[in-house]
Amino acid sequence: MHFELSEEQNAIYDLVVGFMADKWSGDNRRQGLDSYPCQIPGELLREIADLGFYGISLDEKSGGGGEPLLTSALIAEAAGGSLFPSIMNTTLAAAKALDLCDADSNWLAKVISGQQTVAIAIEEPNGCWGLDSIELTPQMDGQGGYLSGSKILVSDGDFAQVFLVAALLPDGPAFIRVNANAEGVEINSMRRLDGQSIVELEMKDVRFEQDDVLGDGATLNQVYDIWTLLIAADLLGNAQSVLRMTTDYAKERQQFARPIGSFQAVAHRLADIQVDVEIGRSLLYGACLALEEESDEATALVSAAKAWMNDLGVKAAETGLQLHGGIGYTWELDIHLHLRQARSNAVTLGDSKYHRARVASHLMSPEY
Amino acid sequence: MDLKFSPQDEQYRERLRAWLDVNLKQHQAVSKAGDVDPVQAARDWQKTLCEGGYLGLSWPREYGGQEASLTQQVVVSEELARSGAPAPINTIGISILGPTLIQHGSEEQKQRYLPKILNGEELWCQGFSEPGAGSDLASLQTRAIEDGDHFVVNGQKVWTSLGMIADWCFLLVRTNPDALKREGISYLLCNMKTPGITVRPLRNAGGGSHFCEMFFDDVRIPRENLVGELNGGWRIARSTLDNERSGLSGVISIENNLDRLLNLSTSLNRGKERAIDSDSVQQQLAQLWIEKEGLKYLGFRNLSDQIANRPPGPAASVGKLFASRLRQKIGKAGFDIAGPLAQVGKKSPHSIARGRLQAMYFDSLGYSIGGGTSEIMQNIIAEKVLGLPRSYED
Repeated sequence: MHFELSEEQNAIYDLVVGFMADKWSGDNRRQGLDSYPCQIPGELLREIADLGFYGISLDEKSGGGGEPLLTSALIAEAAGGSLFPSIMNTTLAAAKALDLCDADSNWLAKVISGQQTVAIAIEEPNGCWGLDSIELTPQMDGQGGYLSGSKILVSDGDFAQVFLVAALLPDGPAFIRVNANAEGVEINSMRRLDGQSIVELEMKDVRFEQDDVLGDGATLNQVYDIWTLLIAADLLGNAQSVLRMTTDYAKERQQFARPIGSFQAVAHRLADIQVDVEIGRSLLYGACLALEEESDEATALVSAAKAWMNDLGVKAAETGLQLHGGIGYTWELDIHLHLRQARSNAVTLGDSKYHRARVASHLMSPEY
Repeated sequence: MDLKFSPQDEQYRERLRAWLDVNLKQHQAVSKAGDVDPVQAARDWQKTLCEGGYLGLSWPREYGGQEASLTQQVVVSEELARSGAPAPINTIGISILGPTLIQHGSEEQKQRYLPKILNGEELWCQGFSEPGAGSDLASLQTRAIEDGDHFVVNGQKVWTSLGMIADWCFLLVRTNPDALKREGISYLLCNMKTPGITVRPLRNAGGGSHFCEMFFDDVRIPRENLVGELNGGWRIARSTLDNERSGLSGVISIENNLDRLLNLSTSLNRGKERAIDSDSVQQQLAQLWIEKEGLKYLGFRNLSDQIANRPPGPAASVGKLFASRLRQKIGKAGFDIAGPLAQVGKKSPHSIARGRLQAMYFDSLGYSIGGGTSEIMQNIIAEKVLGLPRSYED
């Protein structure tokens, strides 16, 4: 019985928080809102890659750091709390995806060393989430096939050289590798509420070969769960940062000749967020452990974490905005950036209702 | 990171399960027979637990305890809750007074009282709250005046669980009215047969009478029944309030309540479909399960802190606050799921689950009041965890 972070995990979390405090700020994100999409200096991306974050939860024999999935989630949490863009989650998830799909090791090495950005394309313009809603079906021939159709909301698609496109093959769902510069591919930037990169990927008779097909239904589910958990971690970090910011403000800001944090109407709202953050952190750790151990409850726990963190992220940011008063409603304060990020992530890879439905199907399954 | 218990702990669990299989069934058969006094049956059950070695797990052996490891304590609370075994009737004595005496009592007090707390020979009630001292417990007014080798106690206590049947009471009294309010309080042990004590049952909102009010008129308590130092009672009482707030066993009883709701929603028809076929019921149950899992994993984190010898402290308030809210959501969900029949009382045609949903609902309302109200928990979290300035004058 040992349900706590290791020393290494605490150190990595602190490292990312400190690194981001030095190198990244809300100003970078504000610029992204005025000149879409939010850009990250190449040098910073190289530094991040050199720190070995992207492959940290891969086996050492895959060139990774041999850490559990939770370590990646902690990096996602620290990055999310620092308002660092989604490329962190996207790349952590893509590295895991390639590893799970037994992709070529040179390719994987390129991704974890930051030389190539891989985006994962799942959602289609049908108003739904999840692998069950995928309709994209390639036309197969003996050696491969052709893809025609569109994917939307593809995170970091503006920066990607390669897309993993989820599609329905005769044997079930799989990823198809599509190069950004392939013939028939058109990439249209979409504008995400928080200024981050999402794109629409239009494909018209895009050729792929048999060895461009990766993974199967089971691996796609795993990738979906892992990526969902990373975004949940991002939401948790976001809420934690807003709570810290707002608590600090409530200690300093004086009205009626006393700090506003001494009023219970303010203090109790912050206490409630603290409770929700602790529950969220507990769910995140529990879900990571369940995925790692391939428990029967893993998917339900991932959904539990995402549903909880969706609500937490939005509630924390809205509460933070309110408790800052007038200053909270300004462009200069970072609160609206946190709110934008939370609102966007809360509808990425499934909103709370979608994930509660996944939990409900677990509760109604005969195994429960 | 892992949640595994050691092979020794798992063997211990197996032994306990086998033990419960025999002993709990026996107890349930006796209770069901109906011709036995329920209080006596409850005392007997506690004695059985004690003799089995499943009480006082953290207590020193010399006072009847087991000196068991923390993980064994968890195994016991999990298995007892899971089996639906009744809690020992002397729970208040075991969970609050026992640890207090172990920490602060004199050697004579430990030897005199601890073994009988465990085997249920002496039942204890707690005399803390007063009509004018609830959340602001330190403002309590019950006076104790020194008179030779006795204290003479006058005042009133309230919300006293087991007051009607308890043999003893641990009591907070004011011994120095001139000192700051936290510095004039003492901790006394009072025999309930002492002349001058009047106990009246209070019926709670759910209809049961689990608690009482107690009146003290010139009640003489020997000086040797003082725990710790004179006027040092507040610190002593505080140290065990945190005890009351931490712990994992609550999660399992919440889990049992939630399972009850799930079963109900699959067996109960609303219109042409089962209650659980409705989207809103599924959403509601899923949310409750999510929160229950969150509480469970929070419990594992707290337990890991304890194993590593980090004290629970104010973080225990997080669990207490969240757990009582979750209990209430489950209680209310029972009404939502039952629909029109939610209002039907027990022992009535068409009643649901023999009135258990209603009992669950009313029970749940007490959790955000007893042991520190939710609002006080919010204060503690705001002050002690977030470091916000205090919201009230002391």
